[in-house]
Amino acid sequence: MSEIDLSLVGSLSQPFVVEVERGAIRRFAEAVGEPSPIYRELPAARAAGFEDIPAPPTFPTAFRPPQEPAWTRDLDRRRILAGEMSFHYERPVLAGMRLECRVRFVDVEDKSSASGSMQVIRQQIEARLLDADEQAGELVVTCGRVTLYRRPRTEQLS
Amino acid sequence: MNGPLFVMKTGETVSMTMPPVTTTQLVQYAGASGDFNRIHYDHPFAVEGQMGGVIAHGMLTMAFMARAVGEWAGTPGRVKNISARFTSPVRPGDRVRVQATVTTPEAAESVACTLEAWVDDTRVAVGEALLSR
Repeated sequence: MSEIDLSLVGSLSQPFVVEVERGAIRRFAEAVGEPSPIYRELPAARAAGFEDIPAPPTFPTAFRPPQEPAWTRDLDRRRILAGEMSFHYERPVLAGMRLECRVRFVDVEDKSSASGSMQVIRQQIEARLLDADEQAGELVVTCGRVTLYRRPRTEQLS
Repeated sequence: MNGPLFVMKTGETVSMTMPPVTTTQLVQYAGASGDFNRIHYDHPFAVEGQMGGVIAHGMLTMAFMARAVGEWAGTPGRVKNISARFTSPVRPGDRVRVQATVTTPEAAESVACTLEAWVDDTRVAVGEALLSR
């Protein structure tokens, strides 16, 4: 039995807006032990060629919809593991940007290995720059997220 | 400023070891990334989930990989693409060692490298990065 509604494969979440803030970038840099001053100090960022404080490369992992998309909402969090992640930048993410993001449910596939069986969930998040008229335009970054959803052991034994 | 990745030859390797992961860091990272899954900071919950205790966010390991690549590029923020696949859990107390191997010739427009993350003799993640000059 699947807890993931397969009829939702291919769906796109509601758009949500991410305001990229200097404080959020600094706290992210601190959490991961990123020492570079370009993530904290505007003069250092400018000296490195950025108009504002840039986000560390994996920062868009924090671009999350206010509500979990329908296809992952009811999953048992204890059985979720990160599988893969990718970031493809068209241009750097900078503090002050307002980005419109959407999550796409790309596909789900069953996999078995020595350590058990699981479902492999693929999602893609696109972030586009919002202009002064609130229109989403230029693509800034695309993130690919592969999540592993382990089946409970009791279910595997039956 | 150009760092070592821009002058290394194809097949050359560079590595860096991060400070040990702490539980405080996992709570900090949960807040900073918005990933509040309790398997990363709630021990009884993580044991029920058959993980044998708390595990670090895979994305924290990837952030270590990105930090190392940024430092080796000279100026961080030149990362165009970065990807990672997580192969084994990282736990509080573990020191993650990140290693990059250059895969493009010196004169190329951009530098590509393969990435590996290790805790002692266990490979915890593999990946790739592409940097612009």
